[in-house]
Amino acid sequence: MTALAANPFPTIQAAEETTPLVVGARGLGKTVDRRIVLHDVNLRIRAGEYIAILGTNGAGKTTLLKLLATLTTPTTGQLQLFGNDAMRTPSAIRRRIGLIDHQLLLYRDLSAIENLEFYAGLYGLDEPTKRAEEMLHRFNLLDRADDPVKSFSRGMSQRLAIGRALLHDPDLILADEPFAGLDAPSSEFLENAFQQIVTAGKTVVLVNHDIEQTLRLVDRVIVLRGGTIALDQPTHRLYLEEILAEVKAL
Amino acid sequence: MTRAISQFSLLVRKDLRIESRSRQTIGLVTVLGVLVVSVLGLGLGAASNVAGFSATAVLWVAYLFSGVLCFEKTMAVERNDGVLAGLLMAPLDRGLIYLSKLASNLILMIAVAAVVTPVGILFFGFDLSAAPGTFVAVMALSIIGFASIGTLFSAVVSSTRLQGGLLAMMLFPIVLPLVITSTQLMLHTFRDGQPASGGAVGVIVAFDVIFMTVSWIVFEWVLEP
Repeated sequence: MTALAANPFPTIQAAEETTPLVVGARGLGKTVDRRIVLHDVNLRIRAGEYIAILGTNGAGKTTLLKLLATLTTPTTGQLQLFGNDAMRTPSAIRRRIGLIDHQLLLYRDLSAIENLEFYAGLYGLDEPTKRAEEMLHRFNLLDRADDPVKSFSRGMSQRLAIGRALLHDPDLILADEPFAGLDAPSSEFLENAFQQIVTAGKTVVLVNHDIEQTLRLVDRVIVLRGGTIALDQPTHRLYLEEILAEVKAL
Repeated sequence: MTRAISQFSLLVRKDLRIESRSRQTIGLVTVLGVLVVSVLGLGLGAASNVAGFSATAVLWVAYLFSGVLCFEKTMAVERNDGVLAGLLMAPLDRGLIYLSKLASNLILMIAVAAVVTPVGILFFGFDLSAAPGTFVAVMALSIIGFASIGTLFSAVVSSTRLQGGLLAMMLFPIVLPLVITSTQLMLHTFRDGQPASGGAVGVIVAFDVIFMTVSWIVFEWVLEP
């Protein structure tokens, strides 16, 4: 049941070491209202990795994702994103990050295309309307382009939310519970979308509650427990029971 | 610079477009302002019992309550569905978010004042003919100061669970000097027939500059999704 000691795929490891580092965290900690949410988190994520962060409620998953998104600052430790200090050049770094949240991050009173045009404009993209239409086409929403988001189903809204996050072609995609509340076809559509993103060489960090689904999708699992990393392994070395034990362990 | 102007314009147009679709803020805020003036007007017995331009204080009560509701509503748009996180992830100066929200609030407040003020004039029999320009200028400058600090505090309050009356409790004591200065200025101008003193107008402008600059600087630190 334990992870294998030796690397059974040495060529993969060699390739990993030459791939650019996207996230480098050392001794990362976050305290909120005197409560330690994250403590001594050390993490290295390379380009093209598909990673899941697992853990029980309050384990620090969302806080870690917010730190990686530069939406909050660490209390202790160092965080490098794309080789730069995340706190010194946040604006340049944010341009390379796409955030997908369990909330939509969309204006419900605006139409799908108005939302995407608005964000495309903020990112200073050339031809924002064309880019917005491309995204709507990619996520099968072109025929609903002019409808307000408030008229969309949960699945359609989440597809649009992913379109918004990918609008500026980010290198790192952070997704917090993107499958929450989706039916099976929508969930499958999203799984395929994430796979395409990874195939295109982007890095995806996923927070998900469904462990079985996660193991099927990602290449590497990080389990947070009590604000620290309890497990960090490639999925091919892990068994479902082992992850469940780590997640549930007190 | 061109990029910042373009982003600012996008943010303001987005706010106004959402408001034009939902009409949640302008309708409520205008009705509240008119109601405040009407209730106070009827309660005070209108022109006969209100000495001269002391009634500008009544207008201020309407502006204050309408303003608080307006600031809360416009900031709530950014909190719904977590869209603030989307804005914060965009490569834009966070001060621009403040300035755009202030501009949107000012547009809405001026629209409200354009409705509420004539109602007040009718109720209290204001005679603006002596110095209509002074009235408009002083009220506009005062509303800028009020909206400057109100926009900041609405962002602070929206990130807490203590909404409702908290914004009014935080905001009213701080804008009190501004309200007193502008009301006294109106009194001197319209009751005593004295021209608006440069010193008093300077105080209002100073409040505007201080409120706006401080709010612009600290806005980044109060924004956390």
